[in-house]
Amino acid sequence: MPDQSISLLELTRRIAYLVQAPETQNVWVTAELQDVNARGGHCYMELLQKDEAGRQVARIRGCCWANIYGPLARRFYQATGQQFASGLKVMLKVSASMHPVFGLSLVVLEVNPEYTLGDLVRRRMEIINRLQKEGVLEMNRQLQWPKVVQRIAVISAKGAAGYGDFLNQLYHNPMRLRFHTELFQATMQGTSAPASIIDALSRIADRQEEFDGVVIIRGGGATSDLQAYEDYDLAVAVAQFPLPIAIGIGHERDITVLDWVANTRLKTPTAVAEWLISRNENVLNALGVAGNKILQLVNDRLAGNKQQLAQAEALLPVAARGTLDRRNQRLRQAIASLAGLPAAKIQPALARLDAFPQRIADAIAARITFARGQINAQEHILKVLSPAATLARGYSITRIDGHAVSSVQAVPPGSILEITLSDGTISATSRK
Amino acid sequence: MSETPVKELTYNQAFAELDSILKLMQSDQCDIDRLAALTRRATALIAECRARLTATDEELKGILAQLEN
Repeated sequence: MPDQSISLLELTRRIAYLVQAPETQNVWVTAELQDVNARGGHCYMELLQKDEAGRQVARIRGCCWANIYGPLARRFYQATGQQFASGLKVMLKVSASMHPVFGLSLVVLEVNPEYTLGDLVRRRMEIINRLQKEGVLEMNRQLQWPKVVQRIAVISAKGAAGYGDFLNQLYHNPMRLRFHTELFQATMQGTSAPASIIDALSRIADRQEEFDGVVIIRGGGATSDLQAYEDYDLAVAVAQFPLPIAIGIGHERDITVLDWVANTRLKTPTAVAEWLISRNENVLNALGVAGNKILQLVNDRLAGNKQQLAQAEALLPVAARGTLDRRNQRLRQAIASLAGLPAAKIQPALARLDAFPQRIADAIAARITFARGQINAQEHILKVLSPAATLARGYSITRIDGHAVSSVQAVPPGSILEITLSDGTISATSRK
Repeated sequence: MSETPVKELTYNQAFAELDSILKLMQSDQCDIDRLAALTRRATALIAECRARLTATDEELKGILAQLEN
């Protein structure tokens, strides 16, 4: 048995010396965070590596001292929208360190938020793509909230600060808007949160008719992981829920899958309450506007009618007078326009008038000449056909007792005949 | 227009009727003889809608008392 030994402290110093090699200092490493715990400004954590099956294959303690952690946590949050918290995959610059009492640990010096962001986005996109492929992604977002939302199912942890904020805000609204809320309790933190929230949703679905919509809230300042909400089953339950869902789970950005599937996304429980209040305020204001509009319409209509009546009344006595005046005026205008006719227009008219007597006389003369011609012709015919003309051509007329005879039968013997020739009449006696 | 008692209407029905009365009154087809009746109905609808949206003093006290517990 050796009688020589070194102290434990000495050994830890040797280990510390060996650990302080360049290969273990200022190294960028990727790991998963667990048991992240900030105390007194410093942050303590476990850094893990898991294999495909989820088994741990490496694990080491890590710490980040206050002077580094303050700015690091702020920068990380600004870049990723996430608190530096358990469940995240991170890329850290670390130096291995051996402490005689606390043992081996990694001192965190820097963080690369891009790595975490990329990993979160990749995991979220996997879920979103799956929801899209299954055709459920938009289902809750396409639901319409009723015009008035008063009956609200609330999913929250009982006694949570966020729940209290929500109720206070909702029920102390200045316009005394009426709301009915009912709490459906659920665990809102940690790995059991998705299953618990899904259970609460199914309890609400059983009494769907009693509610206008669902509010999922979680809040207060607690810096806890939202990784639990990056859950496929929860996303499906929210997406397919028959009532519109508003979420206020206390974060700044589009960072969980729920933000993609829930109908309405607000930052905090208080913001959800404000949103509900402002919706109903708008409805209430619309009532006031409608009332005022009706008042104005009635007033306008009555005023218009009164005015119309007054005008008619005032018009009546002057209406007759006006008609007369207008007629008079029209007449005067006619006269004036007559007087104003240019001489050029009148002269030819007058000339035409002057020519008329002559034209009438000519027409009459022509007519007379024509008539005379006709008479002459008739006279000639008459002359040709007259008995005198016939007598002149050697014919004679024989009469007995003044009656012309045209047959020997009418002349008995011894009749006294008067025979008219062209130049006179002779008497004769028939012998047989 | 059917005169269902305002209490029996849903909020949406009440508001829709209010809206249609407004439209009617804005149009030139609104007979001045009906103005009074329409106004009375519209006022009743507004009052009912308002009552459903807002809580009375007693109700509010009750709610807030529950909140304290």
